Amino acid sequence: MDSAAIAGLILVVGIAVFLLMGAPISVGVGLSAMAALFVILGVQNGVLTSAQRVYGGINSFPLLAIPFFVLAGVIMNNGGIAVRLIGAAKVMVGKMPGSLAQTNVAANALFGAVSGSAVAAAAAIGSTMGPLQAKEKYDKNFAAAVNIASAPSGMLIPPSNLMIVYSLVSGSSIAAMFVAGYIPGLLWAGACMVVVYLYARKRPELKSTGRIGFGAGAKIMLEAAPALLLIVVVIGGILAGIFTPTEGSCIAVVYSLALSFIYRSIKVRQLPGMLMDATRTTAVVMFLIGVSSIMGFVLSFAKIPALVSSAMFGLSSNPVILLLMISAVLLVVGCFMDPTPAVLIFTPIFLPIAMSFGINPVHFGIIMVFNLCIGTITPPVGPVLFIGVKVAGLRIEDVFRRLMPFFGVLVVVFLFVLFVPSLSMWLPTTLGLVKP
Amino acid sequence: ATPSGSSTTAAAPVATTVFKVAFNQPETHPEYIALKAMGERLKQRTNGAYSIDVFPNETLGAQADTIQSVQSGTIAMSVIGGSLLESLNPDFVVFDLPYVFTSQAQQRAVTNDPAVVSGLYSSLDSKGVHVLGAFYGGVRNVYNKTKPINTPADLAGMKIRVMQSDTNIEMMKLMGGTGTPMGQGDVYTAIQSGVLDGGENNELIYSTLKHDEIAPYYSYTRHLMVPDYLIINPEIFNGMPAADQKIFQEELVKAIDQENTEFGAQVDAAITAAKAAGAKFNEVDTAAFQKAVAPLTESKLTDDVTRKIYAQVQAAAK
Amino acid sequence: MNAFKNALDRILTWVCVALFAVLVVDVSYQVFVRQVLNQPSGWSEVLATYLFIWLGLFGSALMFGERGHIAVDFAVRKLPEKVQIVVAVIVQLAILTFISLVLVWGGFRVVGLSWDQNLPGLPVNVGPLYLALPISGIVTVFYTLYHLVRIVTGAERAVNLDAEPELL
Ligand code: NA
Ligand code: NA
Repeated sequence: MDSAAIAGLILVVGIAVFLLMGAPISVGVGLSAMAALFVILGVQNGVLTSAQRVYGGINSFPLLAIPFFVLAGVIMNNGGIAVRLIGAAKVMVGKMPGSLAQTNVAANALFGAVSGSAVAAAAAIGSTMGPLQAKEKYDKNFAAAVNIASAPSGMLIPPSNLMIVYSLVSGSSIAAMFVAGYIPGLLWAGACMVVVYLYARKRPELKSTGRIGFGAGAKIMLEAAPALLLIVVVIGGILAGIFTPTEGSCIAVVYSLALSFIYRSIKVRQLPGMLMDATRTTAVVMFLIGVSSIMGFVLSFAKIPALVSSAMFGLSSNPVILLLMISAVLLVVGCFMDPTPAVLIFTPIFLPIAMSFGINPVHFGIIMVFNLCIGTITPPVGPVLFIGVKVAGLRIEDVFRRLMPFFGVLVVVFLFVLFVPSLSMWLPTTLGLVKP
Repeated sequence: ATPSGSSTTAAAPVATTVFKVAFNQPETHPEYIALKAMGERLKQRTNGAYSIDVFPNETLGAQADTIQSVQSGTIAMSVIGGSLLESLNPDFVVFDLPYVFTSQAQQRAVTNDPAVVSGLYSSLDSKGVHVLGAFYGGVRNVYNKTKPINTPADLAGMKIRVMQSDTNIEMMKLMGGTGTPMGQGDVYTAIQSGVLDGGENNELIYSTLKHDEIAPYYSYTRHLMVPDYLIINPEIFNGMPAADQKIFQEELVKAIDQENTEFGAQVDAAITAAKAAGAKFNEVDTAAFQKAVAPLTESKLTDDVTRKIYAQVQAAAK
Repeated sequence: MNAFKNALDRILTWVCVALFAVLVVDVSYQVFVRQVLNQPSGWSEVLATYLFIWLGLFGSALMFGERGHIAVDFAVRKLPEKVQIVVAVIVQLAILTFISLVLVWGGFRVVGLSWDQNLPGLPVNVGPLYLALPISGIVTVFYTLYHLVRIVTGAERAVNLDAEPELL
């Protein structure tokens, strides 16, 4: 066996074994990649290159958007912004069947539109909406399932930290990725609304929470306006040329901070705690990105993506079949792994294959993010599922049963996103962010 | 042991030492084409003892990282932009100054003339970096979205993306504009949306990155002609038998020639493509720009080494 | 050992808070001077990148102290408690190996190689900036030994049950 094959074997076996043992994913990936490098470069240069890659992997200005969007999310979470977004969502869904559950879906999409985190959305919106729905005779497990299923839409609707990670590994434009996520993200939320509609239609007791008068509705919208304006300020500022996406993320922090002080919902002495909350999430992700960069080095040094793609082309040369195979692999991976490491690990392997049959990297990014987001609400590793169950105080098994219809619909929507490129590409192409 | 990378038994009768070369541009770049061709000739002439494997698109890390990889012998060689060598030995600044070269041919001659550069190119040997030679890296010109530039006054109020350094910001200020450092990845959107008014780069990058579509006025300020250097780990180079070293040097000269020719051809093709995309090219009042940036050149020639090399470059222009 | 860990936690926490706060100010400054004063800064982007790397590495060390890095522990949770302890010890040893080889040893090598490499835009060399690698490495080595001892002596659970899902 040549050193490339040995390196590849060490990577696959090492990562699998460490993952199963419950080691931090970063350490499992890092240690395996380091050992593979030892085979190729020897120990001395192996440790040097590994250290260099950890540092070089996070030495990137665009990555800074991640801590900023995370921080903005934390501030909004503490700053009473979630409550105002829920108010706005309520006015927007009107008196649809199951309007309270519909409100939950819309509020998650709105929260997603102003922050980069699905977990933060599931926690902030779910903890407020859960008790309200219980009061209105909703099945608790169903209410939690609605919250969980709809929260990941915020990872597709910009801003999205996962998209930033993908841009980094794929080299595609962050602005293009952001804009490309709008339609698939709204489709995700729409799919959840359809499930809620079908569920609530046969349950007259869930019909409506009573209509909101025009005056009251206007007042609620006015209160939520400054929070909703964040979308205009950040995404608008990026598109209008006032700042880059990275700088826009910092503006999101400043804006939500200002807003929270105006709402008088946070105090200065709470700031260090918020900075630390954001540091925790950021640091974990940064370290993961750093060590994944060791793996990226091994992959290119040993030319492993070329081996994988020739193996896959050996199985079939039909693009549709290959795309379905890649999607199936990602769907299974998503069940067991968080989307960020999955994007870091699988983009360098699958993107060249997808590009070889003419798929735009931006479209492929949306395919990956959408697919892996489904994994965030599945056991055994489902962070959105876990947090949603936790804030509702329920059992995973019970909630999971109620989640099944959502999975079905989301997989169908995924197939549309996969095979209808214009769902992802139309907006960025129209805005001139990608070439047709 | 082959610290330069893996030994493989290919079709060649003997084990081949494969020199891994880190490169930050795509496979279509003239430097990639020339180095790859050089590798094939090297393999043939050394009966398969040595060959070259070029890793494009920064797959082995950013240029700054690859310097350390060369120093440690993790990889044998890397292609490095001029400003990075400045960070190791400030004397390299001479070749990075505005209007230091008058033509591509002059740069090609001077930067590969042992009488001028042998001291400079060996100055980093103790740090594990030996400079083998210089490739033509193109000539940088200003482009923007609003109007053709003729004089420094035309750049007034324009934010022009420059490479990340105080020298570049200062240069653009003297040229009349506002130098704005930004990572290349953000530049397209930044020009399109108006964060920036334009940039400055050679015709290849201008066309490849499609900046011609959003900033159609390309004005030949010809302010910078910064070479790219091929660096090698000196231990690896000295580890080659003298005969092979000689072959290596000969083939490198051919590679540099090929790269210069190929670059010219690609510039022509890039100009055609850019014009098709709507770009307009114009000549400028070069003397006015030269005069404007003269103080910068003065301030950078601070010691005898740089002044001597600068004088040699000037002499070669005549 | 506990007192030392608490002190270390507190220092790292304040370092991270300070780095993060400066980061927000720095990038806001960058937008302000460019868009409002029309005087783009030559150093703000470089400074931001380095602040961010230090924040990431020190924050990561702190997270090793909290055993807070994302892990997949559904399989381990199903094991008998005795086996869980053995697995947890192996995991801590794996962390120890990776961190001491890559961050500490590799980190010091990178620092050495780049010590006098100058950095355009900032009045510092590249080498000292790389010190974040070995420093965060040494801190993490301490944290890992701390957890190793506590797991073996039964002072702490083999599987961290309080781990919060962290996700973007
Ligand atoms: Na979002
Ligand atoms: Na999952």
